[in-house]
Amino acid sequence: MIDVARIDHWAASGFGPLHRASIVSKIIFLLLVVSAAVITRNPYPLMIGYGVLLVVAAAAGLPWVRVAVLSWYGALFALLYGISLGGGIWIAVLFIVKAITPSLAMLMLIVSTPYPRIFSLLSVFLPEILAAGLFMTYRTLFILLDMMDNFAAAIRLRGGFSPGSLYKNSTNISRGIGMLLVRAVERASRLYAVMVVRGYNGSMAEKGEIRLQSHDWLPLGTGAFVLLLVLVWK
Amino acid sequence: MHIPDGVLPVWLWILGFVIMAFAVVFCLFRLKSVDLRKYVPLLGAVSAAMLVAMSLEILPIAYHINLSVVAGILLGPALGFLAAFITNLILALMGHGGITVIGLNTLLLGSEAVLGHTLFYLFKKRPPVFWRAAGATVLTLFITSLALIGIVAVSHINAEFLLHGDEHGSVQGGDVTVSRFAVMVLSLGIVGWIIEAFITGAVVRFISQVKPDLLVHMLHKEKVGRSKGNVK
Repeated sequence: MIDVARIDHWAASGFGPLHRASIVSKIIFLLLVVSAAVITRNPYPLMIGYGVLLVVAAAAGLPWVRVAVLSWYGALFALLYGISLGGGIWIAVLFIVKAITPSLAMLMLIVSTPYPRIFSLLSVFLPEILAAGLFMTYRTLFILLDMMDNFAAAIRLRGGFSPGSLYKNSTNISRGIGMLLVRAVERASRLYAVMVVRGYNGSMAEKGEIRLQSHDWLPLGTGAFVLLLVLVWK
Repeated sequence: MHIPDGVLPVWLWILGFVIMAFAVVFCLFRLKSVDLRKYVPLLGAVSAAMLVAMSLEILPIAYHINLSVVAGILLGPALGFLAAFITNLILALMGHGGITVIGLNTLLLGSEAVLGHTLFYLFKKRPPVFWRAAGATVLTLFITSLALIGIVAVSHINAEFLLHGDEHGSVQGGDVTVSRFAVMVLSLGIVGWIIEAFITGAVVRFISQVKPDLLVHMLHKEKVGRSKGNVK
């Protein structure tokens, strides 16, 4: 389950050094870690890099255990790909660390940066429709997750979930998703009407500023360390 | 299935970004006659619904439904592709799928929306709406799974090459390993396709009963409008 509400809470409520760093420095940090994962052929430096990222996340007051668990999401595809290459356990381990290390860096960025700041930066590079779509998607996501929770509670109370009956459960889930879509579209139409009344002209996202600041030493230093580790320990 | 960072060769994911950028530009070009401001809330609602559906993981096969075919049917191919891009970008921001492979992941998910829309409307109105949507979903997911296998096939490098940089070994054993990957993806995927097809069929049938005007896509409205204009 993508716990968007919790991620948003962590991003908005933290006061650690990573929260104080600029969005640009955290994007550079992410790019450095991704570069390290792309160029390495040795799992050891990346394993150490992953450990360093966890230590930094813990020291910066981020929910490092949760973030570490979430970072393993991409491991399944990496494992399948590694096994299919036929290089044994070693190649599978290499692909898993290649997958989870950038994922951890990405999660460190998202749990320490409120989404409007990230989307504002992205809106510098993206067409207006996509920037506005990103904002609208993120906003609607919370509403839909809330509606889905209410739907799940209602269906449980009415005995709609039957363990062992895949057909009945799938039918109920499908109706729930259908209802969710219809209501989401209705809400979207109403929202559009409200936005037009309030002067919406196709632009929603404020363009972000690209500027470094004094708190940026931690993400920049961490990213550079992981990349150097990979470059030196080949 | 979302491809993570660091797994595929650099040339391939850069190519993925380039093709995705062209596809996005093409979609925006196709939509230039449409007042896109009207569709921003709808685009957001459907993209958010895709994200919610993706958060419902089906155990024990770790499969999640995508609703990409539903997005294609509701939004049309161009907006459906843009919804796939937005969904993938937000997923990547949450660590579900890589940053470097946003291009390839968007091409896979976006092609599901485009194919799903095309197949759903190709089936005409002969079979009931459930079977049209379910059939379109199975065919779409089969084709995009083959595309995923194709991506892996063109990216496949020898394990020895990867570990030791031995370029002479870079092409050995490729067919065997790709076929192994294909068997794994197709055997795991077929259960997922059936679940996704059932849910897509039921969702589209529900929408056709509750709010049928959502299934009359703007492209077809425009065609109807044009043909009416011609008659006049």
